[in-house]
Amino acid sequence: MRVVWAIARREVRSLLHTATGWLVLGGFLFLTGAFWLALVDNYLARSGDLAYDPYSDVRMSLVDHLLAPFFGNVAILLLVVCPAVTMRSFADEQRLGTLDLLATSPVSAWQIALGKLGGAWAFVGLLLACTLWMPLALTPFGALDPGALAGGYLSLVLLGAALCALGTLASALTDQALVALVLSFSVTLVLWIVGWLNPDPTSFVSQISIATHVGDMARGALRASDVAYFVLLSGWCVVALRQRVASWRYA
Amino acid sequence: MIQARALTRTYGARTAIQGIDFTVGRGEVVGLLGPNGAGKSTTMRILAGALAASSGSVQIDGHDVFADPIAVKRVVGFLPERPPLYADMGVADFLSYAATLHGVNDVAEAVARALELAAVREVAARPIGRLSKGFKQRVGLAAALVHSPKVLLLDEPASGLDPVQRVEMRALVRRLAAGDVTVLLSTHVLAEVESTCDRVIALHHGRVVLDSRLDAIGGGGVVRVRVGRVDGAAAALAAVPGVGSVDSPVDGTLLVRGEGDLRAAVARAAAPFDLLELGSPSGLEDLFVRLAREDA
Repeated sequence: MRVVWAIARREVRSLLHTATGWLVLGGFLFLTGAFWLALVDNYLARSGDLAYDPYSDVRMSLVDHLLAPFFGNVAILLLVVCPAVTMRSFADEQRLGTLDLLATSPVSAWQIALGKLGGAWAFVGLLLACTLWMPLALTPFGALDPGALAGGYLSLVLLGAALCALGTLASALTDQALVALVLSFSVTLVLWIVGWLNPDPTSFVSQISIATHVGDMARGALRASDVAYFVLLSGWCVVALRQRVASWRYA
Repeated sequence: MIQARALTRTYGARTAIQGIDFTVGRGEVVGLLGPNGAGKSTTMRILAGALAASSGSVQIDGHDVFADPIAVKRVVGFLPERPPLYADMGVADFLSYAATLHGVNDVAEAVARALELAAVREVAARPIGRLSKGFKQRVGLAAALVHSPKVLLLDEPASGLDPVQRVEMRALVRRLAAGDVTVLLSTHVLAEVESTCDRVIALHHGRVVLDSRLDAIGGGGVVRVRVGRVDGAAAALAAVPGVGSVDSPVDGTLLVRGEGDLRAAVARAAAPFDLLELGSPSGLEDLFVRLAREDA
């Protein structure tokens, strides 16, 4: 565990020492902040209109008109952010020859894979934690559904974990960070849009689509099948990553 | 301490090393010598557990490298030709990281000792990316030493070091060997082997062509000549009675081989060609030149 922690800490530290890490951090916070302000502004304008409409008895819920679209926007940002966070993970180590330190240390392929992945997860977790103030800032103005908030963040955490696992695996397949970025983003995009081929949510293509499983979770509706989808996707990537790391000796 | 048996490694259709056998005893300093592409780095990487062999076996400190790589890596320190350093880390932080990866309990003590041994204490707080090549090489050495290994594998350890640092590196290797550390160092620099090692294992085209103690290698029967005018000199020297062959390696220097002490006769024959230098090369130098000549 100590070794996994050390590798993960080095990974986060490495991200915070590169322009890429700070660009991702700054860009993510700027865009999520902009989305949030636009959504709040839109919510206030529309709810104000409705308040002065004598024939309307519609009340705009915070979950449907603020939280769900916000989580949806953040989920789309993660499609780009996670490949950017993970692209250098193994690719740079291979290109710069620093992989030799891990390869000749008494650590297992599992420890290396989990340490690298743990660092990416921690960084994306930090990004998501930095957005928490936005929904929490609403609490003085109305009752915020804690279940919807927790469900929304859990969906983002699960999505981030799966995308980081996919990105780290892509990074282990090449020594060029840019190739890893393009590869993981392409696979992620295909997994997102594949559901469009068949609108029936019970169809196979819909079930393998990320978008299908993110949609309801963003509204705080947690289904075991959605959680299982992300856990299985992450698990498959971790096992494949471990195999890849173990195979380097035979390359 | 190290036992390699029938070690073979292929990359696709290319064979990097083929059927290598050697043994290195505890506390021995052995040089792995050979021209570029001889298979030195492949051998070192297999011993360090970074690369799997296609066939054969390696035992280090009683553990099989392929069956129990973790146990082997605990007792081996490896400095690759290109030290694995993170440019964004400070020297002491990097050594702490390397010590943690090797499961060292008292990390602070281990880092302090490694800084001292590799003479990098003065740059302990500096980022590795801002160090000179020589210092980077020494930080790589410190990382290889941080877990007090029983076996030290050094791949071209003097690369990038200035002459003073090279002397210090040799002294350090000798000190470590005196403390019962087994050292295997690969190099193509003859002086490195001659001044540091007890024994030499020469590789050529992936095979062991020599495994001998240094003091058992003689250079008898070989004369090295440098002349001002090369044209015709080789033919004149070849005509000297007792001379078997005349080689002309890289810089125009002539190596004359034959039976017995040929120096006086060779000096007389070389004098008309503006003799500049005459001497007897070491057996190792002669061997190395012959290997290079086979490649030419």
